[in-house]
Amino acid sequence: MDPDKQTIIGSPERRVDAWGKVTGTAKFAADYSLPHQLYGKVLRSKHPHARIVSINTGNAAKLRGVEAVLTAGDIPGSRKFGVVVKNQEILAGEKVRYLGDGVALVAARSAEIAEEALRLIDVVYEALPVVSDPEAAMWEGAPRIHPEGNVFVHHKVRKGDIEKGFAESDFVIQRRFRTQFIEHCAIETEAVLAEPAEHGGVKIVGSIQNLFSSRRSVAAALNLDLNQVQLIQATLGGSFGGKDEVMTSMCCRAALLARATGRPVKMVNTREESMLESYKRHPYAMYYRWGAKNDGTITAMEIRCIADGGAYASMSPFVTWRSVVQATGPYACENVRTDVYAVYTNNNYTGAMRGFGSPQVNFAIESMMDELAERAGMNPLEIRIRNCFRRGSVTATGQKLDHVVSLQEVLEKAAGEIGFEEKWKRYRAATEGTHRRGVGLACSYRGVSLGAEGADAAEAAVSVQTDGSVIVSSGITDMGQGAGTQMSQIVAGVFGIPLGRVRFLNTDTSRVADSGPTVASRGTITGGAAAKNAAEVVRATLLGVAGEMSGISPRDLEMAEGYVVRTADRSRLASFAEVAAECFEKGRPMHGIGWHRSPKTTWDEATGQGDAYFTFVYGANAAEVVVDTETGKVDVEDFVSVHDVGRAINRDAVRGQMIGGVAMGLGYGLLEEFVLEEGIPAQHNFDEYLIPTSMDVPPVKTVIVENEDPAGPFGAKSVGEPANEIAAPAIVNAIFNATGKRITELPADLERVRLGHALRRPGPRGSALKETEQSLPDLSCKIRPAER
Amino acid sequence: MNVTVALSFTLNGKPQELDVPPNMTLLTLLREEIGLTGTKRGCDVGECGACTVLLDGRAVNSCLVLAPQVAGREVVTVEGLAPLGTLRPLQEAFLDHGAVQCGFCTPGMLMSAKDLLDHTSEPSTKEIREAIAGNLCRCTGYQQIVEAIEDAARRKNTAR
Amino acid sequence: MKPFTYIAPGSVKEAVAALHENGGTARVLAGGTDLLLEWRRPGVRMPAVVVDISRIESLRRISLEGPDILLGPLATHGELMRSGVIRSGAAILASAASTIGSPQIRNRGTIGGNIMNGAPCADTVPPLIALGATVTLSSADGTRECHLSGFFNKPYATIATGEELLTQVRFPALLPGTKASFVKLARRNALSISRLSVAAVVSVDDSGLITDARIVPGAAHSVWKRTMEAENLLIGKAPSATLFAEAGRVVSAVVIKETGRRWSTEYKEPVIAALVRRTLEKCFTDNDGHPS
Repeated sequence: MDPDKQTIIGSPERRVDAWGKVTGTAKFAADYSLPHQLYGKVLRSKHPHARIVSINTGNAAKLRGVEAVLTAGDIPGSRKFGVVVKNQEILAGEKVRYLGDGVALVAARSAEIAEEALRLIDVVYEALPVVSDPEAAMWEGAPRIHPEGNVFVHHKVRKGDIEKGFAESDFVIQRRFRTQFIEHCAIETEAVLAEPAEHGGVKIVGSIQNLFSSRRSVAAALNLDLNQVQLIQATLGGSFGGKDEVMTSMCCRAALLARATGRPVKMVNTREESMLESYKRHPYAMYYRWGAKNDGTITAMEIRCIADGGAYASMSPFVTWRSVVQATGPYACENVRTDVYAVYTNNNYTGAMRGFGSPQVNFAIESMMDELAERAGMNPLEIRIRNCFRRGSVTATGQKLDHVVSLQEVLEKAAGEIGFEEKWKRYRAATEGTHRRGVGLACSYRGVSLGAEGADAAEAAVSVQTDGSVIVSSGITDMGQGAGTQMSQIVAGVFGIPLGRVRFLNTDTSRVADSGPTVASRGTITGGAAAKNAAEVVRATLLGVAGEMSGISPRDLEMAEGYVVRTADRSRLASFAEVAAECFEKGRPMHGIGWHRSPKTTWDEATGQGDAYFTFVYGANAAEVVVDTETGKVDVEDFVSVHDVGRAINRDAVRGQMIGGVAMGLGYGLLEEFVLEEGIPAQHNFDEYLIPTSMDVPPVKTVIVENEDPAGPFGAKSVGEPANEIAAPAIVNAIFNATGKRITELPADLERVRLGHALRRPGPRGSALKETEQSLPDLSCKIRPAER
Repeated sequence: MNVTVALSFTLNGKPQELDVPPNMTLLTLLREEIGLTGTKRGCDVGECGACTVLLDGRAVNSCLVLAPQVAGREVVTVEGLAPLGTLRPLQEAFLDHGAVQCGFCTPGMLMSAKDLLDHTSEPSTKEIREAIAGNLCRCTGYQQIVEAIEDAARRKNTAR
Repeated sequence: MKPFTYIAPGSVKEAVAALHENGGTARVLAGGTDLLLEWRRPGVRMPAVVVDISRIESLRRISLEGPDILLGPLATHGELMRSGVIRSGAAILASAASTIGSPQIRNRGTIGGNIMNGAPCADTVPPLIALGATVTLSSADGTRECHLSGFFNKPYATIATGEELLTQVRFPALLPGTKASFVKLARRNALSISRLSVAAVVSVDDSGLITDARIVPGAAHSVWKRTMEAENLLIGKAPSATLFAEAGRVVSAVVIKETGRRWSTEYKEPVIAALVRRTLEKCFTDNDGHPS
């Protein structure tokens, strides 16, 4: 049988988890409770940077209803965690490095009592100088946040001869771009329920993205074996990369409180706590300098990026590595010199977020590309097609692209769908009126999965029940993106049964193998491949049994439409359920394990050369905007998103990822900015941090391009992150088309579009100007001030 | 200080009588006292809409209603949409259009959509987008939700 | 949220009695969309007593009485948007109400709450002042009526005492020939507070000359006020693009004069001028005034 012919692959099947979600029966982490549970709360730092002189918990411990008060000294095992650099603390011992650092924990009979107890904990700090600007943090003599110094990552790419490249150029374009901190804004905040388990272990249900790395830290903190720590993923209310380290610390804290009290402990972050503590998407300062010929050919690219890593390393080394690989965009250039740094500051630490180092550089690259078009006298579509990679092209890291490189196809589809060239010309010529239209284009290439970041393998288990229903479990988690549905659909495809017969179990660290993190859009390509392998193991067994039942060689049998059929005449021999029951009777294994390991990648750290990713995906976005030139308000009126996904396993899910990615990219481009002033966040909740509503996101036209890739199951690649990484530059380029003004800092909010720069309160803190500000009436309309 | 006040109201068609502390919100009452966890807490400041329920037929943020304020009134939550497990056309439409991703906004989204469909027989796309403007969704970009509500309106009108 | 004593009176009489008994330490709760936010903030000073007026049916009305429109303080923004009385007699108010928050907020938030909270960005207040609204305050001692234009002391503070209850909002329905418009600038298209807003009511005579004008910028001053300097400029003149642009510059100058030059002035100065010009233009194109 060729399972590829199964119609279920590629069809818009209903999600396997949707029924529970429309009836209110789906259980998210905060929906779990246990009898006699306690409520855990965290006392966080009062300073962005300070030495802890003393902590007195005596009064808090005496409060009625308080069952435990813990500080760093109460942690029996490892206090530190971190996937790449182990420098983040479950509770700060000697020093706090940002405002979200935890210094003490309380477990109490109610959340209110726990909060009251937090107020009774007396912490004496010795304030240290705050480092808030990553470029200033690089200076010799800047205050050090960690002993090893503030610059903790430097990735390079060196290709060709950069001096020669500039010498050959007819002109040089040089620009500085800046991006902002971005909050993930999963609508569900972080939550766990930890309970002491039998045999001295601990069991935790929670909103955890990467259960296996969180488990390692819990085991290390409590001095337990991995098999004593069971982490179970609750239905996850969105993550976008945001429920990794922040969940690790919450798991460790809840486990410590459960251990100290011998009772279940529930911890749920309020939105304010979540925004204060959680890591963000990195702000980048990007210096781009390109040399080009008058015909638009790029001869040299010199790129320097500084990422604000905040207080801890988190995923910065990997995030910035993707940036260094992709910093040139999908454009051919013989001479490249790229340097990407990550720097510690006393801001919120920054880590994984959908895109993972690509949204920042794509904003710069695609803005540069339009600037290049201007100088070369070409339109933005022409300049991209002239320079973009084709099959056989060699990337900046020296990797030869030996698969279908569909950049021209996706660009032309996006441009065609929105009527780009005609509109671009017309809008550019129109310079009258207060409401001006513009169209913009952006494209990208993106390495699939983890690449040379690390081991890239995953497990799935498929268990056929005696009634022919099937259970699928995997170490790859469903965070709402639909990985569970994709894996189930692949399994249903292999067995030729309806999707309704397959159930996907949320990940449980004690029941499936460590499959690495569910990141980097690897859910379908890696998890899906493992699920396919697992199902094929059981399928072989079942076909063997069917062969014995019918006397026909298994080679002449297939599975389709819920039956085992003879390939030759499609005659039905037995139903899938009958074969399953017979398999059980005969005592054959109905459980299969599938493992998938991605193809090898290579990387030379010194030169930045290597086959960084085993394959790439390609996409293009086109935006049409209306700019109110008097107020700076930008409305996106039309949007086209085109992505080559290899093969769509579930068309509705792919479309959902594409539209959702655009919406998030629209927020990145126009609205969202987590502002820190001297390490102190200015936003606390959704009334201040604005994400797009249904009135802000236009209808998005989606075009799914399918050039099957042999690297993925049924030819499928990935879409989750590509969908998010080029919307902002398409919008900003459209603003340029409308106004002739280039936005070089995100977001393109009212002030930046109207004035060309952001409004900033005059600093530094405590200056005379600041005093004047404070004496004026507060006109900011948020929540009414507390003092009245 | 009255530690609790007696409260009686109708919840998903059934009478409820209980004593509540006056400083408890309707959201906390539903989730933590009555145990109906379908209604979600996303921000507690009336911005995200995940806690949306119907109060006398109109969508409200249950985080911004004091529990005693629902005395004598009728509350419907997501659990009240399909009490016996038979989905309503609106819920079916959400499944058929891929309108659900992580699902955390879904209960609130359904309640806002129900308010709209109960009061407007043929809503325009603009009316649908306005009706769910108080329900933040970070996954979908809203479009498949809008399509589902459009379809639900059609299904409702066909059934009529 | 800290505990408090909860009282839910069934009548205005009971409500003002409760406020009186508690000597001004009680807070009045209506829709709760502002108060519940305030009360959940850590460190907030909570009232000992909360008087929930949401069950007083008589405070819900939206009605026409002679030339005047009367609103009970419990009329919600959603009800104002949908009310035939408002849509035909003061569409500007329906427009302003429709820009507030979200459907959920509009289904709970009340006109009385919007006024009494006194936030500078309250969207119903500029239109109400432009409409010439008065408010009635009731207490155990009786009632008094005040102009809304003089009702606010500073942001989040009104002249009402802690024992007074807002029981009515009154303003004349717009007459034929009266044009009105509300324009709001916000960062996003829903769930948004005003960055700036402008309400304008303009009357013209048969010859097309402006006979009366009221211009009230929102989220601009510390307390709302009409911009007489700009209004006087308009009166007696024929509407024109240059006239409206000039009026915009005057309003902007008045606002900047009051608030002083600040770090945000660079943006506000041109934008207030543009919004005022647009509001006036909109009066003559997409009018929210009298339907005639």
